[in-house]
Amino acid sequence: MTDNFSRRDFLKLASVGAATTAILTGCGPASRYVTREPYTKMPEYTYNGQSTYYATTCRECAAGCGLVVRTMQGRAIKVEGNKNHPVNLGKTCVRGQATLHGLYNPDRVQDPAKQSKRGSRDFSNMDWDAAIAVVADALKNTDPTGVTFLMGMAPDHLFDLVSDLAKAIGAPAPIRFGALGMFEARATLGKAVESLFGQAAMPFFDMGKSDLVFSFGANFLETWLSPVAFTRGFANMRRGGGHGRGTLVHFEPRMSQTASKADMWIPITPGTEGLVALAIGRIAAEARGGSLPAAFADVDVEAIAKSSGVSAEKLDELGKLFASADAALAIPGGAALAHSNGLETAEAVLALNALVGGLGRAGGVFLAPLAPMQTEFSRPANMAEMADFVEKMKSGEIKTLFIHGVNPVFELPKSLGFEDALKSVQTVISFATFPDETAMQADYVFPDHHGLESWGYQRVAAGSSQSALSGAQPVVSPYYNTRATADVFLAAAASVGGATAQALPFKDEVEFIQSKIVALVSESDGYFGAPEINTFTAYFQQYGGWWKTVDELATPGGDVLGKAIQVGEARFAGEGEFYFHPFVSPVLGEAGANKPWLQEIPDPTTTAMWSSWVEIHPETAHELGVDNDDVVLITSEAGAVEAVVYKYPAIRPDTIAMPFGQGHTAYGRYAEGRGSNPADLFGEQVNGAGDLAFADMRVKVEKTGKKYPLSRLESRMGVYGEALGEEH
Amino acid sequence: MTTELKIPEFSANFAESGQQGKWGMAIDMDICTGCQACVAACAMENNVPFVGEADSGYGRSMHWIRTERFWEGEFPEIKMTPYQPMLCQQCGHAPCEPVCPAFATVHSQSEALNLQVYNRCVGTRYCANNCPYQVRSFNWRDFERPEPLPNQLNPDVTVRRRGVMEKCTFCIQRIHRAEDQAKSEGREIADGEFTTACAQACPADAIVFGRIDDPESAVSKLARGSRGFHMLEELGTLPSVTYLKAG
Repeated sequence: MTDNFSRRDFLKLASVGAATTAILTGCGPASRYVTREPYTKMPEYTYNGQSTYYATTCRECAAGCGLVVRTMQGRAIKVEGNKNHPVNLGKTCVRGQATLHGLYNPDRVQDPAKQSKRGSRDFSNMDWDAAIAVVADALKNTDPTGVTFLMGMAPDHLFDLVSDLAKAIGAPAPIRFGALGMFEARATLGKAVESLFGQAAMPFFDMGKSDLVFSFGANFLETWLSPVAFTRGFANMRRGGGHGRGTLVHFEPRMSQTASKADMWIPITPGTEGLVALAIGRIAAEARGGSLPAAFADVDVEAIAKSSGVSAEKLDELGKLFASADAALAIPGGAALAHSNGLETAEAVLALNALVGGLGRAGGVFLAPLAPMQTEFSRPANMAEMADFVEKMKSGEIKTLFIHGVNPVFELPKSLGFEDALKSVQTVISFATFPDETAMQADYVFPDHHGLESWGYQRVAAGSSQSALSGAQPVVSPYYNTRATADVFLAAAASVGGATAQALPFKDEVEFIQSKIVALVSESDGYFGAPEINTFTAYFQQYGGWWKTVDELATPGGDVLGKAIQVGEARFAGEGEFYFHPFVSPVLGEAGANKPWLQEIPDPTTTAMWSSWVEIHPETAHELGVDNDDVVLITSEAGAVEAVVYKYPAIRPDTIAMPFGQGHTAYGRYAEGRGSNPADLFGEQVNGAGDLAFADMRVKVEKTGKKYPLSRLESRMGVYGEALGEEH
Repeated sequence: MTTELKIPEFSANFAESGQQGKWGMAIDMDICTGCQACVAACAMENNVPFVGEADSGYGRSMHWIRTERFWEGEFPEIKMTPYQPMLCQQCGHAPCEPVCPAFATVHSQSEALNLQVYNRCVGTRYCANNCPYQVRSFNWRDFERPEPLPNQLNPDVTVRRRGVMEKCTFCIQRIHRAEDQAKSEGREIADGEFTTACAQACPADAIVFGRIDDPESAVSKLARGSRGFHMLEELGTLPSVTYLKAG
């Protein structure tokens, strides 16, 4: 090694070295991996005490943040962010950091296995040849219209492969779903953008250059769309590039982590977010002068003040504030859109941006660029589509179901009956890395590698102003006898033969990925270029993906303010006396519960660990006769769950809130039997875009007499010191 | 041949002498979002064990860094105080040091850090009692790490066992690595050349680590700003961590 050799140079050399070696040898997938050796017997390219760093893509959610993983002798030691990656610029969130506890989780599925009876957990191991024969048989001998692929929101390369496979055998296009997509209300955002701007796209919020952000329920600092990118935007907004310190106003019935960072938290009546946006629009339009746009012309501010619980004076203050800012930005998202009027709410909030000239203005709203090679906006299935799918399963139309990257038994509303519907499917094959609830209801589990052991790519949907394709490569060799699902499908397709084999003529997953990214080799405006595909692939691995060097944000157009926006009243299901406000656990996300360190990380607002809870205002709790650590029964129209009371001082007294992420009945020792799942309470009501109206719920709360001590970091003396005997 | 050892004199009043630490941290509470990425990053970097539901309920969790928050007022006028990441303040005049009977909690004059020497620690927990910031955590048990989780352990950091006190080290393994590298190249460590695990992960860049003895470093500039203050300043502990007031 030369004298002046920075870590970065070392990194570059190490990863290019590894990559080119693999390409030159040109062997099967096994030789593409770094082998894990005991510390006493090290591969020749490692130096004593020196780490090797590999760039890859985080798979804890679908945002596609770039990671650089530090490895020592084939062990993954530490996750760091990829500084060059346009989504996260070297940063990671809490879930990304803990991804190693998924990789080395003691409860991973270790071998391909057949379950004697669904739900029995009696698995007998198979070898991979037998497993591939099962997949090939299912592809060959099922009527193709009865074959369905149910995929998660990541990874995209596998979704592309499965789409090609489905087309080749004549099966319906694969279905994608993820609980985060449901809680984010992605379909609603896409549809609102389409109906306002005439073009379906993911909106891009340029928060970093804004000086005033009105967030209507969007939990962008927690799990919403691309939290690391939004956190950077928030920090830049606060630092105030050119504007002075930016202000955040957040509308939500409960003080979420995002709301806790707001300068003004407005505890709005659930379901009135769209109405309040209209009132603010009208007041802002009046304050700005000129003729009143049609979108806000019919708005009755007094009536809205009454229904929303936000006083007319407050609305006036907010409207004038919004009108007077240099670069105001309004963001719709999360539970605010999960009402029957959610689509209209999204439209009303997006229209606020048009009012203040925020469309296509720095610090305003843009249309996010499509990822490289992507031709049109795509989104995961909404709840209406999932309900159709479950109906199809129930009717016996679906004979073979392949499931990868999603855990619908846990994530879908229990009332949808997915678990029951599975009984009408002849063959269920899960590719789960972890023994999740859905895998426990499958006939076969053919485990995929963990994300850090996998090749792949992920399209960046929301977090970057540059068009970006995030690349993944194994940072360690597979720890268990798992196999890439892509390789399983490719081998199965080859053994099916005929048109199916011809459609997927790839030796392995890497060759398939190369066949897709080869289209980028000729592009000239990328972060790097290469004369041919093998060199391009090496760079793709080294830099952790490919992205354009220039922003490709589009300015939304259309006559946004020309027609009136009608936001109806939210229709709540159920007779209970409380509004129910579910939210995704900011620490666990949708699938973090099996990682022990994530379980022990305190929830930012309540500091609770290792369980779930229900947030109840202290006075409401007093009226109900319950205290901290009392277990209550929450009943909705669709179901009932028990949860531990946490007296939360920053929630509306007429609302109770519960995190999503716990309540697993499988998924390994750290997740199973811990807390409860609010999805068990969800009904099937959807909004105008087909997204689940999970916040349109009224619930009953009853004392059970049971107690459960909730572990929490904060003092157990209570928020107001009530355990010290102080009267509240 | 005689070797002259340069051992710094112990000085009872070095606090008054204005000795400044070499490493410092600035934490901007206005942009800290409480996301806990620092907590996870620290645990992964420093082999911090998880203790499980029951022990964490008894307050035995081992976080070297935590985000604190308090409440002010009542609904609907309630405010959450800004998230306050709390970690060892690496005091220049540390209350934990003089109470240790085993010299496990010692001050490094050369590094200007509070060291915790695990193989000297006998577990009296006097230091934790005396720490006004409550940032020391004690290994009440040999906390279990089932196979294959130990594969993730960082080989640069000692794995502590039962009966030993531990706390934030400012990622001293990273400091030493960077110092060795700089020394082998015959130069001083440049500001920003490396950083602690918490600062590296922080998505908001609210945590900035660097050379506080260099007035031109990013951390020095932040610490000098009008929003800067020290936690429990009135105790005279001379912390190396400067917080920047929110709002």
